[in-house]
Parts: sequence; structure tokens; C-alpha cells
Amino acid sequence: MKVLVTGATGFIGRRLTLELATAGYDVKALCRSTDHPYLIKHRNIEPVLGNILYKQSLARAMDGCAQVYHTAAMAKMWCRNPDEYHETNVTGTRNVLETAGKTGVERMVYTSTCGVWGPTIKHPMTEHDPRITGFPIAYERTKYLAELEVQNFVKQGMQVVTVNPSRVYGEGPVTDSNTVGKMVSGYLKGKWRIIPGNGRQIANYAFLNDVVAGHIAAMNKGITGERYILGGHDISFNDFFTTLQDVSGKQLGMIKVPLNIIELYSRMEWLKTRLTGLSPVFLPEFAERLKYDQKYCSNKAETHLNYNITPFAEGLRKTVEYIRGSKNKDYGIKEKKPGESFNILHHNSENNQINLICHH
Amino acid sequence: MSPLTAIITGASEGLGKSFAIELAGRNINLMLVALPSSSLPELASFIRKNFSVKVNYLETDLTRTESYLEIFDYLQEQDITAHLLINNAGLGNWSWFEEKSAAFYKMQIELNVVTPVLLTRLFLAQADSAVTSYILNVGSLGGLFLVPKKQVYGATKSFIRYFTKCLQLELYGSNVKISLLSPGGINTKPELLVMNNTLKGISKATILEPEQVARIAIDGLLQGKKEIIPGIINRLLVLLNSLLPASVKDMIIKRRLNTILES
Repeated sequence: MKVLVTGATGFIGRRLTLELATAGYDVKALCRSTDHPYLIKHRNIEPVLGNILYKQSLARAMDGCAQVYHTAAMAKMWCRNPDEYHETNVTGTRNVLETAGKTGVERMVYTSTCGVWGPTIKHPMTEHDPRITGFPIAYERTKYLAELEVQNFVKQGMQVVTVNPSRVYGEGPVTDSNTVGKMVSGYLKGKWRIIPGNGRQIANYAFLNDVVAGHIAAMNKGITGERYILGGHDISFNDFFTTLQDVSGKQLGMIKVPLNIIELYSRMEWLKTRLTGLSPVFLPEFAERLKYDQKYCSNKAETHLNYNITPFAEGLRKTVEYIRGSKNKDYGIKEKKPGESFNILHHNSENNQINLICHH
Repeated sequence: MSPLTAIITGASEGLGKSFAIELAGRNINLMLVALPSSSLPELASFIRKNFSVKVNYLETDLTRTESYLEIFDYLQEQDITAHLLINNAGLGNWSWFEEKSAAFYKMQIELNVVTPVLLTRLFLAQADSAVTSYILNVGSLGGLFLVPKKQVYGATKSFIRYFTKCLQLELYGSNVKISLLSPGGINTKPELLVMNNTLKGISKATILEPEQVARIAIDGLLQGKKEIIPGIINRLLVLLNSLLPASVKDMIIKRRLNTILES
């Protein structure tokens, strides 16, 4: 069977193309550059040049495909042009849905995020729980609006299943959207030494392989129009770094930075970006989020999709091994110059290709 | 002291939902009111699970006259006295007068004007005069400024402004505190999320998140503030409004109208 994966060079998308190709599907991998370094080479993977913002290219890509996995998204913390979040995540998703409706696509899985719920109070969020705050983070806001687009098409009879991964980590390139990868890689280099606040803030970490398997299960077993949280374990910053220390064998003295200092710093970064246009390291809307837990419950996916959660220590060990191992391999990640952040990599690339790539 | 109970209208979404969460966080029991099939049961169960408060809810259409009595009959059956009333339900729009139907304006006026007045009346009738009762009327900065394409909405909010200010006079010295909330733009409904994020500069700075507005509003209400204007930029605009001569304001609004007409 022929399937299309959008965002095939993204953190989830690229692993998904590999998993599908290994399972024997004919995978069309939508990407904006067919020689992109993150694109996986496999005899069952056919790179297709295209862009979710251009419907014509989507129609060509979907030709003959029975299924579409729409993982492409703008998932970075910051974009020079803030409209790109809406264009890529909302208009792009609408384009994919519209084109799928016109071609022979039978079924689609849409990759959303637990960010549509965002902060939690006491108990982990389930699919039925409401969002408790507004949407100051552009990524979360536009992913929520994209879910509404999906719901509209489902009402018109289209078969779409939505999956909501939490903070995904695992064996994949360290990019701007791979926040856990950045943290782990920074720690291994001895550069990340910060624990925000008292370190007791909890987030949910989903292992990439689990999330990818969850996507395929959602396509095969998911109920049309439903959402499935694809999460992992709820882990505090303190536990995160204790586990990282255990699995990596590297011991760093970590510094706990009070939240009000982080908030002040984020405001200075915001001002810096406003005045100079330089990419910020951290923004106030993310500092605000550090006051909340982000706990999510994957029970529904476990029950209905046989979703499996890899123990955090095991997943983190594989991630550490991957990042250590990929240092010498060419994954298109250039060695950082001192004082340069990974963000800059995305904005300085000559042909602007990397800047345009949709990561999760 | 026995726990207080708050009635919140339009509680399922937007600012109403934020009021529910804010009050639950302050250990105030809730009586949530919203339209049927607006996910109100899910919100109620979420709040029960995550906070230690009692949550009752009623799914009803507040443009029906019978619905006002339904709320208080329900409370009486449950032997609950309400101590706070949050008149939040309302219907907004952004359209030229002739773009909307007569039925729409009837519904808008009923929900924005008739409902809060009658709920206030019924709330006061059941209030326990031995303890302080609180009423929060959600107005709008639009009730203070002339805003094109908000002709009826703005007029309903001007009504709420007059009604609230006048009640404050009448109820002076009683055990009832009544506050007017005059927010600027709030990031609530999907279409507002899109529109508000295309704004730039000062206009963008007037927009707040619903949880910020709810926190500031409940703080103000419990302190007995007469008018609550969340956001420093919004307060500056109100100050400016009181200082500028009418002719200058007229000019600003006309220029604004022209830019709207051009777009």
C-alpha cells in the first residue's frame, strides 16, 4: 500500500517513514528538498518534492496514496516571521485535508500535540479535559486551530484520527524543535547546567519509537474523529537530570535558577529580539509555563491502540547513545561555534532550506 | 465559615471557564451555567477532580425567560445559597449593522442586557444578608469607547455600565458588593485567537489572556472595587479618554473607521 508522510524530515516524520518502510509500505516522503540530510534512504521510501503550502504539489504527492500521515508542522520556539506558525500549522493542515478529500486518500492521521492542553493542575490531563489557560504560545495556539480544521473535515465525512504526542525524545537529530535532544546534548557537552526553579516541575516525556508505533496503530485501529494522547512518563526536572546522570555516567553540578530570574531573563531576551531581530534563547511565554506541570495520561491509547510506554531510563539511555554516536556521523548537524545557539543554524543557512523544514 | 458558592454564566468556554478555574482555586464552590452540549459536564468533572470544591452545573439557554428561575430553583432544591454572581455570558460580534439579522440582535440584547439584570434581581432576592454577597458584571471597554462594527454590542455594554454604577449607589452601605469588569480584548474564541494575533503595537498590548483577566477580576471583586480594568495599557487608554477633548476623540475614531473601511 502507498502512504504519504508529510514532514518526512521532521523528528517524528523521519522515524515514521523508516518504520512504515520496514513494515513493507511504499512510503512517499514529502519534503522541500529531496537531498535533505535528515531524509532516510530506504528502497521503500520515495522522496517527493513538495510543500504543504502548495496544494498542487500536495496533489502530486498524494497521487495513488491510500493513507496520509500529516506530521509536518512549525514546532520551533521562535520564528522570525510569526505568521509562519499559522501558515504552516493551520493553512498547511487545511491544504492537506482538502487535497486528501479530492484525491483517493481513504484515511489520515494528524499529528497534533499535548500542547493543545498545555498546563495541568493536579491530575494528568486526559482527552476529555479542558484547556485551563489561554494560548500565548504560538505553536500551541495554531495546533489547536488546526485540530478545529480537522474536526470540520471529519464532520464532512473524512476519516481522520488525531494523535497528541507529549514532549517527544529519542533517537533523532538534535534540532530546534527537539527540545529534549538539545537538553541532553547540552548536558553531555557539559554546557547545560540549569535546572529551572526548584526542579520539581513535571512534564511528560514520550519516547520517539512509542510515538511512531502509536501513529501506525492510530491509522489501523483509531476511531475516526477521536484524539489519542501519545505520552510517556511524568518526570520532574530533578528526576530527569538524575536519570540522565545515571544513564550517561556523566556527573555535572547543576544550578537551580529561580523562576523569577528566568522570567527576568526571558523579558530581556524578548526585548533583545524586538530591538535587534536576533533569535531569542528563551521567551516570556515559556517562562510562564515553567510555573505549571504538564502531565498527560495515555490510558486511552494504551487501551484502544495497544500503545506501549518505554521506561524513561531505557529511552533516555538509547537517546544518549544515539547522540553520542551521531557526533561523528553526518546528520547535517554542524559543530557549534562557541557562543552560537542551535537556533542560529536554522536561520543562517544559505539556501534557507533548513529554516523552512518542518520539525516536530 | 461555611464555603461560598458562585454562579457563573457562560462558564463552558473563554473567560467563563477561566472564572470557574480561578474561583475553584480559591476554594469557592461553583454553580456553572452554559448552553447544552458545550462540554460543561467535562469541565465540571475536571474541576471536581483537580480542586476540592463542590461543582453543580445546569445546561440551559439563558435567552429563555424560564432559565433564570431554573437556576435558582435548582439551587434551592440543593439547599445552596449563592454568594457570588458572575454575569459573564454574552454575545459579541464584529459586523456592520446591516450584516446581522433582527433575530441576532434580539438574542444579543436578551443575553447581554435582560439576562444579567434579571439574574441580579433573583440573586439579591436569595442572598444571605448576614454575609457579604458579590456581583461581577462583565462589561467591556467597548461600553466606554465608540467602536465601529460594535454598535449593538457596545450599547449593551454601556447599559451594563449604567446599571452597575447605579446599583452601586443604591446598594451603598449594604452587604452587597458589585463590580464592573471592563476588559479590552481577550484571547478566547478561535476567531479571536486568529484576529488578535494579527494585531501590532498598542492594539496588541491591550489584549490579555482569559486567566489573567479572571485573576485580576476576582481580586478586584473581593476587594470591593467599583470598576476593574485589567491591563496597564487599557487603564492608560481610559485615563487618556477622560483627558482628551471630545473633538480629538472624534477625529481618532473617524480615522480608525476609515482604516477599517479601506481594509
